[in-house]
Amino acid sequence: MDAQRLKDSFAHVARQGDAVALFFYSDLFVRNPQLRDMFPIGMSVQREKLLGALGGIVAQVDDLPSLVPFLQQLGRDHRKFGIVAEHYPAVGASLLATLKYFCGTAWNDDLAEDWNAAYTLVSKVMLEAANEDALRSPAWWNAQVIGVERRRFDIAMLRVVPDQPLPYLPGQSVAVETTSRPRHWRYYSMANAPRADHTIDFHVRLVDGGPVSSVLVRSLHVGDRLRLGAPVGTLTLNEDSPRDVLLVAGSTGLAPLKAILEQLARRPSPPRTHLFFGARTHEGLYDLEELSKLAMELRWLTLVPAVSDEPPGTLPGLHRAGTAQAEHGTLPDVVGRRGLWIDHDAYVCGPPVMVARTNERLVQLGVNRDRIRMETFAEAQR
Amino acid sequence: MNSPHTPAGHHYSTSSDGGVRHDDGRYTGPDPAEPDRTGGHNLPATMGESRLTPAELQSVTFPRAPLGRRGYDEERVRSFLQYIERELAQIFSERTALADEVARLRERLSGVSSGGVPPEEAHFQAVRILSQAQQTADLYVADAERYTRELAQEARQYREAILSDAKSQAELLLDEAHRRASAVAETAAAAAPPPQHVPSGDPSSLPDDVRRQMEREIAYLRTYSEVYRTHLRSYLESLLRNVDEWERSERDALPTGATEPPRPR
Repeated sequence: MDAQRLKDSFAHVARQGDAVALFFYSDLFVRNPQLRDMFPIGMSVQREKLLGALGGIVAQVDDLPSLVPFLQQLGRDHRKFGIVAEHYPAVGASLLATLKYFCGTAWNDDLAEDWNAAYTLVSKVMLEAANEDALRSPAWWNAQVIGVERRRFDIAMLRVVPDQPLPYLPGQSVAVETTSRPRHWRYYSMANAPRADHTIDFHVRLVDGGPVSSVLVRSLHVGDRLRLGAPVGTLTLNEDSPRDVLLVAGSTGLAPLKAILEQLARRPSPPRTHLFFGARTHEGLYDLEELSKLAMELRWLTLVPAVSDEPPGTLPGLHRAGTAQAEHGTLPDVVGRRGLWIDHDAYVCGPPVMVARTNERLVQLGVNRDRIRMETFAEAQR
Repeated sequence: MNSPHTPAGHHYSTSSDGGVRHDDGRYTGPDPAEPDRTGGHNLPATMGESRLTPAELQSVTFPRAPLGRRGYDEERVRSFLQYIERELAQIFSERTALADEVARLRERLSGVSSGGVPPEEAHFQAVRILSQAQQTADLYVADAERYTRELAQEARQYREAILSDAKSQAELLLDEAHRRASAVAETAAAAAPPPQHVPSGDPSSLPDDVRRQMEREIAYLRTYSEVYRTHLRSYLESLLRNVDEWERSERDALPTGATEPPRPR
């Protein structure tokens, strides 16, 4: 297998962009009409994902130590879509047909052999990881909604109970599919440390135009069913660290950090912890009341709410959320004002811009990049 | 008649020539002297429409030759043979026509797979058609999502406008209420003579300035609570209207979710 030849031919093919993935899926569905049902009606996002994944694989094709874990994860992730062993050869055949089509005269037996070998390897690694995973956990968890609490017109807190225990680390997230939007999976973080009764909380914010988040916030009811994928994510607590903790949450980015907070609270001697919770308006601080109670109970926790688009202190007449007075400013500014975080481990979650700016500010303040763990959401929660 | 594909006009034309076997003179049919068709002979009664069948052939009988001659009636035998000959010719010509038809169809079939569109090209055609259909579907989905997004954004702006309107309205109302309440209380305190009928003796025993102070408080609180209740009601109502508006637009914008459960596998 000639890695460079693979890369060159893929670079040539990839220049033709969306047409490549469009051809691939059409070829796949013409040959295997029964597979069409596994995908959503709109395929543009799907095609971007495919091109992204292929690009990533080809880029690392001569770097197996990096490629293999990526493929293993990909294989495990695909279980929730109902992908099984027999689907792999069909995908391989269409992939080769697509490459051949777009390579044109550059296609020859050697290239075909290279690609065939590469795909054989890729599917073998993915499938092995999937099979191994199948020994330990189901392809997905069926869950039932047992609580829906609308904290704001566009923010809901959901409580669900899976039909079997779903082990995860605080800070991780799972892909969620609702019966009203089949085959649309969106990622949400568990907002609590694992409980004895296995119930899980999610904080969902309605994304304008988002097909899934709209349904989850607006029309989900107790008794409705969801499907959950396997837990993923690296925004998890560094258990070995003796340092103090800084948590910075923008809007529903609070969810994973609240789970981490609960995890800290279970320690015999929790580290000194600051939680910054920011939103545009006071109303956006949807969980402030509960956080304030926590902060009063836990002496090692300091809670700092912040609002950027409203003057400080003006709580809307009917919404006296907690006792804490919100600071005015964006999270990076407010965090920056509050002093030195050099000796802290920082965990940041929220909208992409907020996360990027907070990260930059922390680095400016001298925090080591290795000690900042962060996660963004946007498209993943539509 | 049995087969609509029978290409030969012969069969029908011959037989529909008006019952050849009757009229051409060579086959005269049943002897007029012997009207009993089943007795003297049993030539195919098929006359015309249907085909000569093996069973009919088996059951053929010929009348004896006229008195003084041996064997069958020569005339009848000859005419029967002619009839058979015509039938056979008919069958052969039909068979040839069918063979031609088969050959033609075969040719057309092989043209599809070799001369016309090769299978690979047909596959690409299918892929292209599916791709186009998919792109159309993607467009529709994107349009629907954009529409929903715009609608939601508008509703959000609308909601914020209503809320900030209500808020400033409420602040104005409150200020006004405060001002009026204290004005009313001031005048009441200044003008009101000490009440004549006091149910309880206690208040009257209070010093005048304290009692006036209390009355002023009561008047103030009454007015304030009334104004506040009114304000609260209108505030809540506008909030509710807003929520209704939001829900309606959301519901209209979203397709009613497919109720189909996810396939188990």
